[in-house]
Amino acid sequence: MEKNLAHIALFAALIAVLGLVPKIDLISGVPITAQSMGIMLCGTVLGAKRGALAVLLFLALVAVGLPLLSGGRGGLGVFASPSVGFLIGFPVAAFVAGLIVERWTATVGIAAFAGAFIGGIIVLYAFGIPGMAVMLDKSMVEAAALATPFLPGDLIKAGLAALITQGIAQMRPGALLSRPQA
Amino acid sequence: MPDHAHTGIRLIEAGYGVAGHSILSGLSLHLTQPRIGIIGRNGSGKTTLLRLMAGLIAPTTGSVRVGSLDPAHDRREMLSQIGILFQNPDHQILFPTVGEELAFGLRQLGQALPDAKAAVRAALAQEGRSHWYGAPTHTLSHGQRHYLCLLAVVLMGPAIILLDEPFAGLDLPTQMRLARKLAGLAPQIITISHDPATVATCDRVIWLEAGRIRADGTAASVLAAFGTAMRRLGEADADTDIAG
Amino acid sequence: MLTLTSPVETWAHPLPAGAKLLALCGFTVVLFALKTPALLALAAGGVAAIIAVCGRDFAQTSLRLLGPLWFFSTVVGLWHVWLGDIPGGAVVILRMVTAVAAANFVTMTTRLSDMIAVIERLCRPLARVGLQPKTLALAVALVIRFIPVMLQRMAQIRESWRARSHRRPGWRVMLPATLAALDDADRVADALRARGGSG
Repeated sequence: MEKNLAHIALFAALIAVLGLVPKIDLISGVPITAQSMGIMLCGTVLGAKRGALAVLLFLALVAVGLPLLSGGRGGLGVFASPSVGFLIGFPVAAFVAGLIVERWTATVGIAAFAGAFIGGIIVLYAFGIPGMAVMLDKSMVEAAALATPFLPGDLIKAGLAALITQGIAQMRPGALLSRPQA
Repeated sequence: MPDHAHTGIRLIEAGYGVAGHSILSGLSLHLTQPRIGIIGRNGSGKTTLLRLMAGLIAPTTGSVRVGSLDPAHDRREMLSQIGILFQNPDHQILFPTVGEELAFGLRQLGQALPDAKAAVRAALAQEGRSHWYGAPTHTLSHGQRHYLCLLAVVLMGPAIILLDEPFAGLDLPTQMRLARKLAGLAPQIITISHDPATVATCDRVIWLEAGRIRADGTAASVLAAFGTAMRRLGEADADTDIAG
Repeated sequence: MLTLTSPVETWAHPLPAGAKLLALCGFTVVLFALKTPALLALAAGGVAAIIAVCGRDFAQTSLRLLGPLWFFSTVVGLWHVWLGDIPGGAVVILRMVTAVAAANFVTMTTRLSDMIAVIERLCRPLARVGLQPKTLALAVALVIRFIPVMLQRMAQIRESWRARSHRRPGWRVMLPATLAALDDADRVADALRARGGSG
């Protein structure tokens, strides 16, 4: 259906754009790249299937050589680097985040936070940490230790993704494809 | 209406270029009149000039001053000096309710939340729109959203307001209302447009072409020349050159 | 849309994309089977050689693309120095850098259109589940077409923020940006339907 295709393509573009624009402010003074929030938003805004497809489309474009990952990274090289686990986990994270927003009947903000947390952190790290362990010849525990400095930032990003999702629901009721009757 | 000599925007041989490509060059202007229009075709550099005056970008040559301040570097001071209204309200509205949207600028100026809220309520009451305070922004019509963005800018009390194509996409009654509202505002207003009708009532009109000043004078004289040139262009054939 | 493909023609450019990808897969598997620094240094030298042959600009770009590996290289390096296991550290770093450099080499010597053709071929079995190859091509075209549009819009939104705040834009700019993406999607869907659908 055209509507699905359009949403998937445009949100893949949105993820790319979030890697290309200057960083946004976390809380005054601390800049973050918004791209990983874009991944979570694909799930929380578009729902599980469309969200995952949008992220897959984005990754496909990165793989064919477009420098769309934040920092201008791209090409096959990023899939050969230690963070490959996270890349593989991205579409799964979006799927889980979307699933939670679609199925759990809590208010949008809470469901989106749960989705962004469970999808964007738990599931994502479940792919990312083993990936690093394999690529760096380290144990899972050691790889997990390597990943922990990024946890606080990602937690806050999950919170922001929830705020953004909730904000969209407030600013335009019915706009969320993950909550069609809202 | 007072002359704005001391807060007026001054450009001294200002220019702006990106990647070796010059968009604006050799602009020397002292903008003091209460109502100024900047007219030019699309692609003439007028929006870039607006951003330069507002301090959103810094000149690559020459300088821009507002009073004694450099708008590109003294951002905090500039917030209360210059207000900017962009073309598309949907690119400007950040909050779900009118009250929050209007309070944003005041908070950024340093006001505490209760003071900002009170000021917003007072302003809305003065406009006869008290019932807008808690209204969701998505329930506003296009014209009302435009109005909301203008109000948000005016509320910050700037001495100068820059308008980018203020009437674009508005139907006639909305245009008339907006024009009436603008005419009554105290700050200096500088309007950018491609449409002569928008700037016909300005005290001074500057014609920008290919990043340079082609004419600068009264509305009547500049717009007459502009109109003639545009008609001549319109009668000639297509626009076949592709940039870059 | 700028890609990472090198504009300078190299010996590898004319080779078929599928063959290069298969070779890369095979090479990466072999890399992970090598366990000594000496052998990995040999592999690294080999990759360095095929890059060097392509000229100085190409080599410099290849080196630059390895930049993001600094973090892991430093962490692993320090880790292994602290553990007193330098050979182990050398294995990880050499393998990582070589794998990424080889993968980048394929990216830099393969045109975007050829890579997309490979993906389309790989996705052909999905036609049974409903994914037509035309749809994939259309999706890619849409993304590439809309990135500049959305970038410019994001810049406008950020400017609107900077017009009212001296601080760096906060998360709220994502609201108009995401809403605009949703609006664009609706418009694109209409345009697709008007032109006979995406099928």
